[in-house]
Amino acid sequence: MSDDDFLRVTDVSKWYGEEQVLHDVSFEMDRGDVTVLIGPSGSGKSTMLRCVNRLAEAQEGSILLDGEEVLSPDLDVDELRREVGMVFQGFNLFAHLTAVGNVALGPRRVLGLSETEARERAEDQLERVGLGEQFDSYPAELSGGQQQRVGIARALAMEPKLMLFDEPTSALDPELIGEVLEVMHGLVDEGMTMLVVTHEMSFARAVADEVVFLDDGRVVERGPPEQLFERPEEERTGRFLERIASHD
Amino acid sequence: MSSATRPATVRERVAESDRSVGRLLLVAAGALFWGWLAVSWVNRWLGGVLVPVGQPLVPPAAVEATLAGVPGLAAYAADAAFVVEMTPDLARGTWLTVVITGVSLGLGFVIAVPLAVTRVYGRFSSWVSLAYTELLRGTPLLAQLFVLYYGLNLASYVPGAVSGVFARDVVWVAILGFTLNGAAYQAEYIRGALESVEEGQITAGRAIGLSKLETIYHVVLPQGLRYAIPSWTNEFVYLIKYSSLAGFITVPELYYRADQIAAETFRYTLIFLVTGAMYLALVLTASKLMVRVEDRVAIPGLGAGSEE
Repeated sequence: MSDDDFLRVTDVSKWYGEEQVLHDVSFEMDRGDVTVLIGPSGSGKSTMLRCVNRLAEAQEGSILLDGEEVLSPDLDVDELRREVGMVFQGFNLFAHLTAVGNVALGPRRVLGLSETEARERAEDQLERVGLGEQFDSYPAELSGGQQQRVGIARALAMEPKLMLFDEPTSALDPELIGEVLEVMHGLVDEGMTMLVVTHEMSFARAVADEVVFLDDGRVVERGPPEQLFERPEEERTGRFLERIASHD
Repeated sequence: MSSATRPATVRERVAESDRSVGRLLLVAAGALFWGWLAVSWVNRWLGGVLVPVGQPLVPPAAVEATLAGVPGLAAYAADAAFVVEMTPDLARGTWLTVVITGVSLGLGFVIAVPLAVTRVYGRFSSWVSLAYTELLRGTPLLAQLFVLYYGLNLASYVPGAVSGVFARDVVWVAILGFTLNGAAYQAEYIRGALESVEEGQITAGRAIGLSKLETIYHVVLPQGLRYAIPSWTNEFVYLIKYSSLAGFITVPELYYRADQIAAETFRYTLIFLVTGAMYLALVLTASKLMVRVEDRVAIPGLGAGSEE
C-alpha cells in the first residue's frame, strides 16, 4: 500500500439505522486502474460506490481521493461530484432534455461554460459514445443502450478524474449490453480510472486490474481477475462465481 | 373483414365532420364574444370613438325591429333588445373579471411554486408551507376577502397612484385575496406534480455537481410544471368563477354588474342566463388555451403529452 494511491478506501463502515451494511471495507486504486466490485445483491457494493461521491454517507472510515478526505464534513460535496462521474443502473436521464441537453447541463450550469461551448462539448462526448446521430433525440426516443451511452457521455462531459459505474448494464436487454460494454472498453483503453459495480464477469476478466468480492458488507476476497476467477481462496467467492456462471 | 370494418370507418368519418362543425361553431362563437369585448373595451378607453361611452355597439331599437320582422323570433325581439341594452355594463364587468383572474393567477403562481418546492423538499419550511396551504384552503374564500376588506380595511392603504388604472382601489384588495388563496390551491396541484418526477433524476442532477436548488430548478420544475398543467387548469377555471365573490366586497366585476341590473329590472332569469353564458365563454377559452399551452410545451415521452 503506497502513500500515493489515487483512491484509498480504508475501513469504511455504514449503517442504515440499526443495520450495518458495510463492515470495514478497504481497497485502493492507482490512477488509470479499473477496479470491479462484485458480489450478491444486497452485499453493499452499490452502497460502497455511492459513498465515494457522497450520495451515501459512510459513518466510519476514510476515503482518500487524490489525497483529499472525501468523508470530511468540511468537504464541498458539489466540488467532489464535479470531479467524480457516475453512471446509473436506471440511466436516470433528464426526461425533458434531449441527448445534447442532458450532456450539456453539467458543463453549462456547473462548470459555467457558455451555451455554445457546452453544446459543443456535449456533441463531442456524444460522438465519443457513438451517438453522433441522436443529438436532438429525447430519452424516450432512444433505446436502453443508447440511453445508457448518453448517461456515460453526461458523466464524461464533466471531465471527471474518476468514473463510477453502478451496474450500468443490469437494466438492459441482453442484445443491448454489448454497445455499452464497448464504450466502457474504449474508456479503459483511454486510461480512465474506473470503479465498476457489475455482474458482467467477462468485462471484469478482460479489463479489471483488481476485482473486489463483497458479501454481506464485507470484503471477502480481492485480487487480480485471473487469480480471483481461476483460483479463489475463499469458499464463498467460489460459490458466488459458480452461481453467476450457471446463469450465463 | 374489410366490409365489416367499413361501417365503422364511415361512422368515424361522420363523427369527424361533426367534430369539425362543432369546432367551427365554437371558434365562431369565441371570435364573436372576444371581438365584441375587445371593441367595447377599446371604445371605452378611447373615450367613445365608435359609439358614446355606455352605449351598446348596436342600437337596441334596431335589433328589436330586425328580429320583429323574422317569423318565429318576433316573440324574443324585446328580450334581445334588453340584453343588448345591458351589454356595455357586462363588457365593463367582464374586463374586471378578466383582470382579476389573470393577475391573481399570475401572482398566485409566483407564490405557489416556492410553496410547492418547500413543501416537497424543505424541512422546517415544509411545515410553514403546509400550515399556509391548509389555512387558506380550509377557510371560506369569502371570509378571507371580508377580513382583507372590512377587517383590515386594506382598500384605504392602496396608494392613489395605482388607483384608476384598472378601476377602484378595492380591485387590488380582491386581487390580493385571490392571489393568496389561489396560491394555496395552485401549490397543491404543483406539489403533486413535483412528486411525480423520478427520484433518480434528482440523484443524477446531484451527481454531476448541481446543488439541491439547482437540481430543482433545472431538472424537477421543468418536468413538474408540465405535469401540473392539466390539474392547474382546474384552478384557472375555478378562479374565473370564484372571482365573482369580489362582487361581495363591492368590486364591479361581471357578477356584480349583473346583480345590479337584475335588482333594478327584476329580470333575474334572463340576466343570469346571459351572464352564465359569458362565464362559460371565459372558462372554455381558458381550458382551450391551456390545452394549446400543453401541446406547445409537450416533450416526447413526458407525461400525458397531447392527450385530451
